[in-house]
Amino acid sequence: MNQADVSKLVSKLRINVLPKHRNLNNPKGPEGRIDKLRKTVTGLIKFERIELNYNRADEARQYAERLISEAIRHGDCHKPTMDTANFWLLEKELIHKLFKVLVPRYEATNLSYTRLISAPQQQYGRHTDKAVLELRGNPFPDLMNYKTNNKLLIQNVLLDAAKQDYKQSKINEIANNIGKKGNSSLDKSSKNIEVPEKPTES
Amino acid sequence: MALAIRRSTSEVFGAAKWFIRRDCRALSTLPEKAVEVPVEKKRDRPVVSRIRANARNPNLALRHVYPEFLPDPNPKWRNSLREKLERTDMLNRRKQIDIPEFYVGSILAVTVADPHAQGKTNRFVGICIERKGAGLRAEFTLRNVVDHQGVEVRYDLYDPTVHSIQVLRLEKRLDDKLLYLRDALPEYSTFPFDMDPEILPDGTPVPVNPVQVKLKPRPWLERWERQELQGVSNIEEHLKEKDRVRRELRKEPWEKYDLMKQYRKTIPIEDQNDIWAEVNHQLKQLQLTRKKVSRKRTFGVPKTQLG
Repeated sequence: MNQADVSKLVSKLRINVLPKHRNLNNPKGPEGRIDKLRKTVTGLIKFERIELNYNRADEARQYAERLISEAIRHGDCHKPTMDTANFWLLEKELIHKLFKVLVPRYEATNLSYTRLISAPQQQYGRHTDKAVLELRGNPFPDLMNYKTNNKLLIQNVLLDAAKQDYKQSKINEIANNIGKKGNSSLDKSSKNIEVPEKPTES
Repeated sequence: MALAIRRSTSEVFGAAKWFIRRDCRALSTLPEKAVEVPVEKKRDRPVVSRIRANARNPNLALRHVYPEFLPDPNPKWRNSLREKLERTDMLNRRKQIDIPEFYVGSILAVTVADPHAQGKTNRFVGICIERKGAGLRAEFTLRNVVDHQGVEVRYDLYDPTVHSIQVLRLEKRLDDKLLYLRDALPEYSTFPFDMDPEILPDGTPVPVNPVQVKLKPRPWLERWERQELQGVSNIEEHLKEKDRVRRELRKEPWEKYDLMKQYRKTIPIEDQNDIWAEVNHQLKQLQLTRKKVSRKRTFGVPKTQLG
């Protein structure tokens, strides 16, 4: 039974948002939660790919998306947006990165700005869901190889090399055989091939 | 001047490029074209940001006038079909009676059907202290002091028993909710029932009344000192040291940076654009017909009301 808050306008996120936030266990309460998320968002903007617990990653992802979308909408001449960026990015040189690198990168995109990929669990110890959180368009190699026919995929490169090796060895073998046994074997084989042709013609 | 400077700089740049290229060609084997390509690409790149384009929609200003057309932001209670049906019902109701633009802090007169009243209608005048609810469940609360007794009446905006809603004074106050009038001196929420409507000229922005009320001494209904109210003048008089300390402890300065909290409270621009595109045309039509009717009334022949 609430009315939507009309004092602020926000642009829609391109990710799924849960109806309620996660508390993220913390002795300092809501303030500690926000502090944790600030650290994570700063790390994400700085390193562009980080691995962490799934819950924290999903929460931090939402804040990072909101921060980038605000930066795209208002630009760097908008005081409240600048304040927000100043609050969320603990290292101040990252504010320049946000407005000069990330905004041009994501201005024209229709996708979300971040990706969240589930990482394998630990085999021993506490079972916590792990995830990899990354900015789209980061300089690292892709984690998800959907195209197995990609020529540059490491497995394919190795397989191609192996095939090439095998072919080369075969050719070498044939070449060696030619040198050792001489023309007699070749004549025999050619005769053998010619023989079955004659009855078909007649 | 600007043109001249631009031209001269480009010439200087061109000459420098030519000079550098001539010199470098002797040293390197790189082709000439490699220098020019990135410059051309930067000029041609069109920067299309959907986010910025969507935020520029002029229909978004309607959200202040008709906040109840936006659904409840809680995703558990969202249902696109129900919301759409409610919107059509609301428009149909608006065709029947004139629901004017008003805000928290405006003074309204509401007439409702009342089977027990003389003449079967009941009229109440008061200041709007709260607007709540979305869709057909939108409601507002009027407050007045009658015979030294505070009276509050909650009306549903789209209640079929409402005969008319009249705005006597259209204005805003400094706060979103005026619930603190319950603990304020009665003079701040006393309005005469025979108030004449004040008419604002067309096109003027809604005035903000900067009045600051005085609270009665404690006990209060709420801890007003923790709510950062703009419209209360004497809140510090009634506080003890203990209250000030607790207010400091309870402050949440990070809340205004909590981007997801804001996000969960509102309807995003893209969704709002769809809603306003659906509703805008009919709302405009309704406004136009109201204007025409009111003009006819003003220039009509006065009827004799004798006998």
